[in-house]
This record gives sequence, structure tokens and C-alpha cells, in this order.
Amino acid sequence: MSPDDGIPGSAEAAGAPRIGVDEWVASVEGKSERYTGVRGVALREWDRLPAPARVFLCVGLAALFPLVTSDGNVFRYGLFTLVYGLLAIGLNVVVGFAGLLDLGYIAFFGFGAYTYGILASPQYNNHWQAAAAIPVVIVATGMLGFLVGLPSRRLVGDYLAIATLFFGQAFYVFVNNANRIKFPFFGHTNLTGGSNGIAGIEPFNFFGYKVQGTRGLYYLLLISIAIVLIFLFAVHDSRTGRAWRALREDPLAAEAMSIPVNRLKLLAFVFGAAVAGFTGAIYATIATAALPGDYNVGLLITIYAIMILGGFGSMMGIFVGAIIVSSVPELLRSSANARPLFYGVILIALIVKLRPWRRFVLEIGALVAFGFAVHAIAAGVYPRLVHGHSIGNDFFARGLDHWLLFPERTKNMVDVAYIILVAAIVILPQLGRIWRAVLLPPLLYLLIFVWENLLLVQINGATRLILLGALLVALMIARPQGLFGKAYVEIV
Amino acid sequence: MKGRRGLIGVLLALSAALAVVAAAYATPDRAAAPATPAASGSALVKCGKTRTIGFMVPATGPAASIGIQQAHWANYYVAQYNKTHKTKIKLQLEDTQLGAPTGTAEALKGAQALASSPNVLAVAGPAGSNEIVGVTKTLKDAGLAWISGSSTRTTLTTDGTRTGYMFRTVPPDAIQGPTAANYMIKTLKVKNVYIIDDQEVYSTGLADTVQQVLRGAGVTVGRDGVDQQQSDFSSVIAKIPRSVELIYIPWQLPPKGQAFGNQMKSAGRGSVKLMGADGLFDSSFASVGSHVYDTNFPLNPKSKIVAGFRKQHGGDGEYFGAPTYAAVQVAAEAIDKACKSSGITTRAKVRAAIRATKIPASRSLIGVALRFNKNGDLATAKKFGIYKSNGSDFQPVAG
Amino acid sequence: MNWSLFFDLTVSGLTLGSLYALIALGYSMVYGILKLLNFAHGDVYMIGAFIGWFALHALGGPVNPDFAGAAVLVVMFLTAMIGCGILGVAIERFAYRPLRNAPRIAPLISALGVSIFLQNSALLVFGAQFRDYQTFSLIGVKTYSIGNLFFSVPQLLTIVSATCLMIALTVFVARSRLGKAMRSTAYDREAASMMGIDVDRVISVTFFIGSALAGAAGVMFGLVFGQIYHFMGFLAGLKGFTAAVIGGIGSIPGAMIGGLVVGLAESYATGYLPQGSTFQNLYVFALLILVILIRPSGLLGTAVVQKA
Repeated sequence: MSPDDGIPGSAEAAGAPRIGVDEWVASVEGKSERYTGVRGVALREWDRLPAPARVFLCVGLAALFPLVTSDGNVFRYGLFTLVYGLLAIGLNVVVGFAGLLDLGYIAFFGFGAYTYGILASPQYNNHWQAAAAIPVVIVATGMLGFLVGLPSRRLVGDYLAIATLFFGQAFYVFVNNANRIKFPFFGHTNLTGGSNGIAGIEPFNFFGYKVQGTRGLYYLLLISIAIVLIFLFAVHDSRTGRAWRALREDPLAAEAMSIPVNRLKLLAFVFGAAVAGFTGAIYATIATAALPGDYNVGLLITIYAIMILGGFGSMMGIFVGAIIVSSVPELLRSSANARPLFYGVILIALIVKLRPWRRFVLEIGALVAFGFAVHAIAAGVYPRLVHGHSIGNDFFARGLDHWLLFPERTKNMVDVAYIILVAAIVILPQLGRIWRAVLLPPLLYLLIFVWENLLLVQINGATRLILLGALLVALMIARPQGLFGKAYVEIV
Repeated sequence: MKGRRGLIGVLLALSAALAVVAAAYATPDRAAAPATPAASGSALVKCGKTRTIGFMVPATGPAASIGIQQAHWANYYVAQYNKTHKTKIKLQLEDTQLGAPTGTAEALKGAQALASSPNVLAVAGPAGSNEIVGVTKTLKDAGLAWISGSSTRTTLTTDGTRTGYMFRTVPPDAIQGPTAANYMIKTLKVKNVYIIDDQEVYSTGLADTVQQVLRGAGVTVGRDGVDQQQSDFSSVIAKIPRSVELIYIPWQLPPKGQAFGNQMKSAGRGSVKLMGADGLFDSSFASVGSHVYDTNFPLNPKSKIVAGFRKQHGGDGEYFGAPTYAAVQVAAEAIDKACKSSGITTRAKVRAAIRATKIPASRSLIGVALRFNKNGDLATAKKFGIYKSNGSDFQPVAG
Repeated sequence: MNWSLFFDLTVSGLTLGSLYALIALGYSMVYGILKLLNFAHGDVYMIGAFIGWFALHALGGPVNPDFAGAAVLVVMFLTAMIGCGILGVAIERFAYRPLRNAPRIAPLISALGVSIFLQNSALLVFGAQFRDYQTFSLIGVKTYSIGNLFFSVPQLLTIVSATCLMIALTVFVARSRLGKAMRSTAYDREAASMMGIDVDRVISVTFFIGSALAGAAGVMFGLVFGQIYHFMGFLAGLKGFTAAVIGGIGSIPGAMIGGLVVGLAESYATGYLPQGSTFQNLYVFALLILVILIRPSGLLGTAVVQKA
């Protein structure tokens, strides 16, 4: 929890336009003009670059990543970021371009994985070449997308969401139980392996070249993303692309302009499904298996989070979103990373929020003094409160032992402190300015106390996800249009 | 428009370049060789004073309740070991979120994190059978052996793809299922059995095995399934025919077994016998009543180690985690052996040492000596123990 | 026809249905006013179950309660409802209010963040183990039977108290000033604020009531099914959401009927359809699709032109 960048009180502060109205759009767009110095120049130049050049820059940078780090890092950070990124790109066509709320998207991902699994694994003893299998996967998933998209002609908005959610659920239940179903014509066949899934899926085999190993898969994904992006940029400004956006902004008006709404919706569905199916095939070769639990609602939520975080309808944003959502929990796997990250974020937030700098120095000074005072009192009155030790043995950790309370075997006390902390973070922004300034140091002390005694101890468990959840809320409040999204007024 | 065409051309060229790089990386001979020395099985590792064992458990997510039990038992072993040995061991925990909405992705990433940490010499875990299927390639490529304390799917060890890498301290379904079924047929002499699985890998595997043995013996068998997340069983219960004498529920979460038993009681059918499997071996399931049976590896609840553990955890045995204690024990002792002569070892040496494990029954928590057969299964565990509840806890009965 | 089976299934369907209805109400009321799918609602319900458990143990635990069983129950319900109500208001203020007019999908992600946050906070603070309400010790194992037909006290308690809560809510919304304000805000937020209705306050009240109902549902769940744990909100939230849509999202009586329909459908599907409990969720969702294909605005929803 970073206390300050998530505090919403400022959003209602006098003077700032309300989110979602025309003035807000203007103020957001005006911001990049106002910045001066390097930041302003960089922002404006970035905006001025033609879209393909931005792709070129991003893909080029990503291509360098494996050259500077180990295989393990490429796998954990790179591979999953790209898989999620590619999925989000496909979803972005359906949701971001055409405005269809598709909640069954992950089923296409799974369908691709299973289809490839059936074509290239010991399950049915098929060992297809990738050059043949990939087109089959793409076409099959596209056709499935067409079928699922059919009701989209009749259903609108949230109801389409529900129908597709059902499709996603149905897919999951089907693959989890298909070994018990008797099919027409085929009878009993172990199509999907039931809850065991399909194991031993082979890597892509291009005429003897096997794409395997972390780096091989990484570059394969990167190439796929580049191709899909190029295609999408070509589409974006074409008749179809413009019609899709018109559809998203206002389907009624679009129909009145004699845009073939139904055909375009279906096209978006088919395209999104095909991308997801292809990604599924790649993921199947990464996991070397297709397992039913991998294609459930949770992943869908992850992909939506990536897409919206990055900025609705923005291709570049998707990459940043993917990096945040898939890397932050990974980074937090070890306490060695988590500690600097945590204190860094807090410091930056304080520096940004506490202006002028005198206020910052004052608050930090108060925090340090407060800590020593509390520590001294506790040591005198109830020494068990300071008997514990912080994690690690570096200079910082040993210093903390003299400043922060480390109670011995009082898990309950720390739990209560956590609840108080959450309550305090919610309440603080509702208070007046002076109270906020006075209460900030104790709140920070409490935050550090909870962090060192509870969150850091559980860093591998619940903490990472707690931080991810808090980050999602904080980012949405700070930039409702997503990191790279364009602010626009929604017609409801 | 012209400018854009040019850029697209550049992009195509870039993709082509990337394709070349990818092809270079993807050539078969390169893939056969380990990618980086640090991650391979033959790289030399200094043992040092503190040895690291990778530990994969579901610390969060829907199965966290069993993951925490495993973590407690593993930590308990580590604490004991570190008290009595000069060298220390350390667990590097990776959360797999078994059963989480994102599936096995977390397990994959955790396995990769272990594979690329050069200090990790062996792995305890993962918990789930599907997780093992998912992480096989990653761990194998890194030359790491893993010892699971809870995955029971029979084919994991017998299909040959993991031989020499995977070991487990829990006997597979092929042993547990028949033990349970034979007890039902021969000792309880039931003629009408109802089997309810929870649709998870562990459960369907056991249910299938038991169903097969029972049908073979001419017992009437009904079959149903519930969702692992489900807590309401009343409509499933309503459907169970009145003639059923025993219900077999090979589930994984003991509290769900307890809920099922209690809901049977509130439906006025508290007299129908219940039987669980090792996943339900816990006092919470036993507390349903004395009509509850269970199968478990022959753990001795009176052993000193178990008593010590219970004392530390407020009287709770958390028996599902006990084989994980054995798994960490096997890993730790194998590492010690592999490190003995020179203080420098390799993951391959540790693998060989695990394969040659010989821990006598007296030092083994799970009641039998720890030795592995060529598949990686316990060579000594030929049979499961049968337990019956005395109303609050499970007591062994003669099978 | 096997009447005993039918009766059992109906009782269990009604029990589940009342729980779903209570959860669905929270979804529906919030959606009616803010057009927001509050993903965190299922987790509020989970927190409610935990508050109930702590209240129970603060009063001496289920085996030797300090007061009579009925008094303990009342305290459990009240603390859970008030606690969840406050939690709901806090969530709205902190995570949704700053996004009131943002693109509709932004609060969705914010809600998702809150959901992840609550779920894992519960894991952190309450632990991973299941907590047992031990209903049998608290209100006795009594099972009433009429001939072959069985129902238990917690089931009866759930159905009756859920019905009471829903009646109270209906009266509140129909009769009180605040209820009227809620209805007009749902009808047209801007017009309502021009008529001098304090929209912020109405929204806070809505969140309070919806979350309190979810809290009550959480306690009932604990009483009927025994165990509670940190992940229980996910599935319940999904079902409650389904119920809200079947009934017509935004409609209060619709949510009640939707909840009962989903509960009964689930129960009957388990009992009567082939492989019923395996495919239970599928049958329920199929019903949902059927309903929205025939009546796109749900059973009791009003048809509106939807542009987004």
C-alpha cells in the first residue's frame, strides 16, 4: 500500500474538473503541452511519432531484453508478459475497437491450446508440423469465434457479456469432463484428457527446426506480436478500423450511418478469437501441456486488467499494462527486491505529493523522531514489544531494529495493526489539511510497522497479491483513462 | 500514406531479422544443450554452510489451507535439522497457487525461479499432479530433482517421462484405491456404495480406481461429482439412494468432508458410513462421528516427531502435510551426502543421492523406511493404513 | 414422482436461493444507481462471514456461549451487517467515487483491485484454514421431520430471516423518503441531483444496505454450511451476479426472484438432470442465457435502449 498516490480526496479538490466531462478531457490533453524541459519534449515527440515507429521502438527494445539477462528472467518476466500482451492485443480488437464486452475470451485461448495439443502430442499420437498445425488452430478458433459471435448481433452491452461468460464457463466444464461424455459418431474418446489435461505437447516444429527453449519461444512471441501489430495498424485507419471505432463510440449512430454493424461485430469476434487461439497454441508449447485450470475466469480478469490499465484501445499501453501486471508480482517474490521497491515507491509518492520540499523534510523529520520516541517508550514500558528482529542482516535492517517496534510472538497485535492501517488510509483523505499533516507521520510509522512485521514476512504469499490489488485501485484513481489511453467522454 | 508504407517495410525487415535470431536459437543441437551453465544439472555448486532446497507449495489461492499445512511441516523439519546440524538448510519458497484462477502459470514461473537460482539443489513439492505435469520440462532441463509429498496420480511416475527426476513420499492412487475398496468389500461387507469426486485430478483418479475394483467385486456403485469450491451438498445428498450403505468421498479439503458429513446428519442420514482418502485425513473430518473411515499412509500419530509438531501447532496434527516433512528430509539428507566428500556438488549428484535414499523406518515419520523404486515411488509402501474415527480423531484399525 | 426427493431439493434450493437473493440485491441496487458491476461484492460477503465468526467467538464460542443461542445469533447478524455496511461505504468512497464519471470500465478494474485486496487481506489476517461455525453446538443438531421429509433449523432460519430482510428492504424502498430518493436517483441521477437530492448520500446508503445484506448472507452461509474461508466470495459473487441478471439487473424484486430461481435451478439440476452436480454451473448459466434471449432485460427488468 502506498499511502499517498492512491488517496482520492484530491480528485474532488476544487478547481480540478470532474472526471468524464469535456473539461477533464481538455485538461488531460493539455497536460502534455504544459510540461517543459526533457519530459515535455519527450512526451510531445512520442506523441508525434507515427504509430508504426512506436511499435518499432518497443519491439526493438524487447528484442534486446534476452541479451542482457538470464534465461530464468526471460522466462519469468519476458515470456509471460508477451503471452499476456498478445492476448490483450487480441482482446483489444474486440473490446477496445469494436466495444463488445467479451467475457468468454479465455475459452478461445484454451481452445487453441487444446487443438494444438490434439494435433501435436501423444494424446492421439498426432505429430503435426507447425506449418500445418498453426493454420488449422487459427482457422478452427476463428470459426468458433464466429459461432460465439452470432448472438452478439442480438445482444447488447452487459447482456452480451453474460452470454460470453457462459460460453467461457461451458468451455471450462467441457474440457474438464470431456473424457466422460459420449460423443455422437466417435463414442467414448478421451478428447481432452478430462481433469488430467493433455500432457507432453511438442514444441513447434517448422520443417525440423524446433522452436523451444526460453529464448526461442520469446522471439517467436515477439515476431508474432510484431506481425499482429503491423496488421492492426494497417487496419486501424482503414474503412474497417474507422467503422469499428464508430461502433464503439455509438452503435446507434453507426447503424444510422449505414455501417454494417453486425458484420463488423462478427469480424472483430473472429479476429480476437484467432489471435487468442494462436496464443493458446504457443502457451501450450511453453507449458508442454494443456490443463483445464489454466483457462478459467481468473486469467480473463488478468487480461482485462492489462488492457484497461494500459489504456483502453491503445496498443502501446497494453505493453506497459502487461509489464506491470505480470512483472510486479514476480518482482515481489523475494524480500530482497520487495524492500527497496516498497520504500522507493513511498519516498517518490511523498516527494511528489508533499510540496514545497520544506513540508517533505518536516514530515520525514517528524516520522524519524516519532519512531525513536515510540521505540524508547516501548522499551521502557513493555520490552517484549522490541524483542523481535527485522528480516535480513544488512545495515538497513539492523538500523530498523533500533527504530521500529518488533514485537515478539504477538501475531494478533500485528493483524489488528493491519486492519487499523487500512482503515486509517481510507479515513485520512476525508480529514482536513492540518489533521492530515499531523497524522501523516504516525500513519507512515504504522505502515512501516505493518510492512516489516507482517507483509514482508508473508511476501511470497498474500502480500504480493494485496499489493497488486492496491496498485490496480491506485492506478485507476490516478489515471481513469489508463496509462496511455486517450481521455474521452463516454456517451451513455 | 507513403511514409507509413515505408515504415511498414522497415518493420517487416525487423521481423525478418528477428526470425533469423529465433531460428538460430531454435536449432535442435542448441536446444539439446543446456541454455546456461548455471541452470544445468552438471554445473558445480559450492555447498557452503547453508544449503538451499526449493519448496513449491500453494501458499495462497483456494488450496492455501493444505499448502499452509505442508509449509508448517517443512518448516518444522528445517527447524529441527538446523538445531542439530552444523550445516544449515534454507527453503526457497515459491507459491504455486494450486487451483488458482490463473491455473498452472504461477507454478511454471516458480519452477523457473528455482531452476535459475544456482544455489537450489533439489525441490520439495509441487503439491498438485497437474502442476507437476506443467513444471516437468522446466525442472528437468535445469537438472533438478523434485520430491512431492502429495501428488498421487499413478502415471506421473510410471509413464517414464520423469524417471530419475521425480520422487514422491506419498504412495500413488494405484495403492490407495485398492486398499480402500478391499476394506469396503471384505471387512465392511457393503453391497451398495456411492462415490462422489470433487472433479479435481486427485479425486477423479482415486474415484475411478475404487469404482473399478468395487464393480469387479459385484458391488453396486453410484457415481456423482461436486465442485471443489462448493459448500452446499444438500441437493447432492437428496439424490443419494436410500439403499446406499457407504459413501466414498476422496476429496482434498478436510473441512469440505466435514461439511458433507454434517449436512448428511442434518438431512437425517447420519448413519450412512463415510470414507475419505488421505486428503481428508484430519481431525476435522474425523469429528463428524464414529461412522467415518479414512485411508492414509501408515503414519504413527504417537511418534515423537508428530507429538512435537502437534505441540507447536496448538494440538493440530495437519497430517496432510506430513509427507512433505519426509520430502524435505529426503532432499536434505541427499544434499548432505552429495556434499560430503568435497564440499562441491552438482544437481545431478544430488539426484543420484535421492535415488539412493535409505532412511530407516525408525527415523521416518510416515511409518515405513524411505527407499525409492526405479520409478521414484516409495518401494516400501505396499499398503495404506485404514483408520476409523472415534468421534474426534482417527485411530488405526486392522485392514 | 419421488416426493421426498422433491421436497429435499426444494428446501435446499430455497436455502441457497435466499442466500443468492441477498447477494444479488447488493449487485442490483448498485448497478441500478451507478451502472457499476461491483466485483468486490462477493468478498464483502466473505468478510461478513468472518465478522460473524469473530462475534461468535467474542461471545464465548459456539460450545459455551455467554448468552442464549438466540441472543448470540442476533449479535452475530447485527455486527456482520453493520461491519459490512461500513466496509461497503468505505469501498465506495475510496475506490469508486473518484471514478464516478470515468469510462465505465475503469471502476470495473478498481473493483477488481478491491476484490483481490480483500481476498488476500483475509488470507493474511485470518489465515488459510477453514473456520468452523459449529452450528451444531450453537443451535443444536435438531432436524425436524414430517414423515420422510427433513429440514434443519439453520435452513429454516435462513429462509425465514432472508424473507424478513427482503420484506423490510421492499418497505424501506417503497415508503421511506430515502427509499424514494434511491428510486429517483436510479431513474435519472442528474435530474435527481437537480431536484435537490443529495446523490452522494443516496449512493452511500445504497452501498451500506447492499453490503449489509451481503454480510447477513455471509453469516447465514456459515450457519448452514459450517465452514467459511477466504476464497468463498468468488463463486458466491458469480452466482449472485447471475441471479441479479436473471431477475433483471437494477430491479429489487427481480433480484429476489432471480436468487430463488438460481437456487432452485441449481438444486433441481443436481437432483434430476444427468450428471447434474458435475454440470450444475453449466445448467444454471444455460438457464441464464435462455432468460436473456427470451426477455433480454431479465424477468422483471424494464426494457431500456442501451447504447454502450
